[in-house]
Amino acid sequence: MNIYDTYETIIGLEVHVQLATKSKAFCSDDTTFGADPNTHISVISLGHPGTLPKMNKKQVEFAVRLGLALNCEINPRNTFDRKNYFYADLPKGYQITQDASPICLGGQLEIKVGEEKKTIRLHHIHMEEDAGKLIHDVDPEHSLVDLNRAGVPLLEIVTEPDFRSAEEVDVFMNAMRQLVRYLEVSDGNMEEGSLRCDCNVSVRKKGDIQLNERCEIKNMNSMRYARQAIKFERKRQIDLMEKGERVAQNTLNFDPSTGTTSPLRQKEDAHDYRYFPEPDLPPIVLSEQYIEKIKLEMPPLPNELVDKFSIEFQLPKYDVGLLTEEKETAFFFLEICKKTNNYKAVSNLVINKIKPYCNEVKIGISKFKVSPKSLAEFADLIEDGKVSSSIAYQRLFPALIKEPEKSPEIIAQELSLFQSNDEGFLEKIVNEVLENNPKEVEAYKKGKKNLIGFFMGQVMKSSRGKAEPKSTSTLLRKKLEK
Amino acid sequence: MKINQSLISKLEHLARLELSNSEKEEIQKDLNNILQMVEKMNELNTDDVEPLVYINEQQNVWREDKIANQVDRKDALRNAPDKNEQFFKVPKVIK
Repeated sequence: MNIYDTYETIIGLEVHVQLATKSKAFCSDDTTFGADPNTHISVISLGHPGTLPKMNKKQVEFAVRLGLALNCEINPRNTFDRKNYFYADLPKGYQITQDASPICLGGQLEIKVGEEKKTIRLHHIHMEEDAGKLIHDVDPEHSLVDLNRAGVPLLEIVTEPDFRSAEEVDVFMNAMRQLVRYLEVSDGNMEEGSLRCDCNVSVRKKGDIQLNERCEIKNMNSMRYARQAIKFERKRQIDLMEKGERVAQNTLNFDPSTGTTSPLRQKEDAHDYRYFPEPDLPPIVLSEQYIEKIKLEMPPLPNELVDKFSIEFQLPKYDVGLLTEEKETAFFFLEICKKTNNYKAVSNLVINKIKPYCNEVKIGISKFKVSPKSLAEFADLIEDGKVSSSIAYQRLFPALIKEPEKSPEIIAQELSLFQSNDEGFLEKIVNEVLENNPKEVEAYKKGKKNLIGFFMGQVMKSSRGKAEPKSTSTLLRKKLEK
Repeated sequence: MKINQSLISKLEHLARLELSNSEKEEIQKDLNNILQMVEKMNELNTDDVEPLVYINEQQNVWREDKIANQVDRKDALRNAPDKNEQFFKVPKVIK
């Protein structure tokens, strides 16, 4: 047995979610990403003497919304603490955070790794503020400070050490991204740093119960890097233990160019944050009515929709995945399904035609101009066998986009797209096809039965797709086997 | 608790200050005095007294999520000891 296979990896995450509020956590500066340096700042975010923080209502609401979605217990009395450190990314010398009384306690998120369901337990979620950005590589003598991000509201989600592989971390982060987007509390954009995580990694011999020393890999804002970093760290720690050495608890940086981790340069006692209560922010007390109101306004969650689509609507896993990926698509699909029970036909229509169309013209699917009622009618036309699916997709769909106000049934009539099982019409075409292909008829009669596909194709072509497949095939067989 | 020179150097590092030897001695004396005073207060029985964090009873002092009160970059940079057109400049420190 490979020595590496005798170890398991234990991973816990600290996920930072940047909230989609308009203004910062404790002052009213703009939070928009990508602005000119030092243009979204105020005397409060600059830490000028005598300034006082004031809580953003929205941050609390978003925290409660996320907490409820993750089955956390909501803390009714919230206080804040100062985490003290001196670094130029935070001018006032401390970060406002919740150390003693985080807003959400416990909770969990269920993920699906392959076919297996797994529950990741959460330790807590707390509110805090982001730090500014330091640029080290422009000026040889100095670091440049941009404080636009200083004070942007964050939620930090701390998980239990429940992950056993980089893959599980990947699935969890994707589920988290999907969830915060459904809840509209964050754009979940990893490239812009709205969603990032620190990974606490340790290894132990399979069967051991005791956890070993862990290392913390900081600020992973790409899942590809996180996977690489975890894999590298796992190997590094196993190699050390196999040599009989101790893994030293450390904070690590991951270098994507080499795929390796290395310790951040740090003095031993640098991590003395001397937390103490933040007296400038009075407690935030949440009534039961307040929490209840947020609960009532909660949108359906991705996991609920996955269950609804796969169990109630009986859709295949592939469809369910695509339909629930984004809330906009899921809700759009649901609207159509209020008007028809032909869920699979609607799913095909959304996945194969509407989504690609919207991507092409670069609009959100909710801006698609045909009404749910018409789209339900469209799906019914296919499902009832009135219009063949190929004709519906190739001719009716483009016609409907041109005249989005018009009923699909009327368009189908005008373009005479109804498929026909009218015997006279079918018989005429079938006869023509058989007459025009004597060689194939001969071969069929000699036993080459799979030529039925060829004849079907010819009939479809001559009827321009309007021949109803079932009646056509019955009629063809009847004639050929005479 | 007694303030000794090793604690002074730790505080020196945490506060990012550099003290001369005479300053260190002076500070040691001051801090010990402060601690003595706190110890004097500790003689009181405070078992049933909640720590005082907030000087009034206000709660839920919060605001609507609106953009306001930003300062102009030029004004913001005016008091900075070192700067360029867009940024504050600080000695190069990589965390």
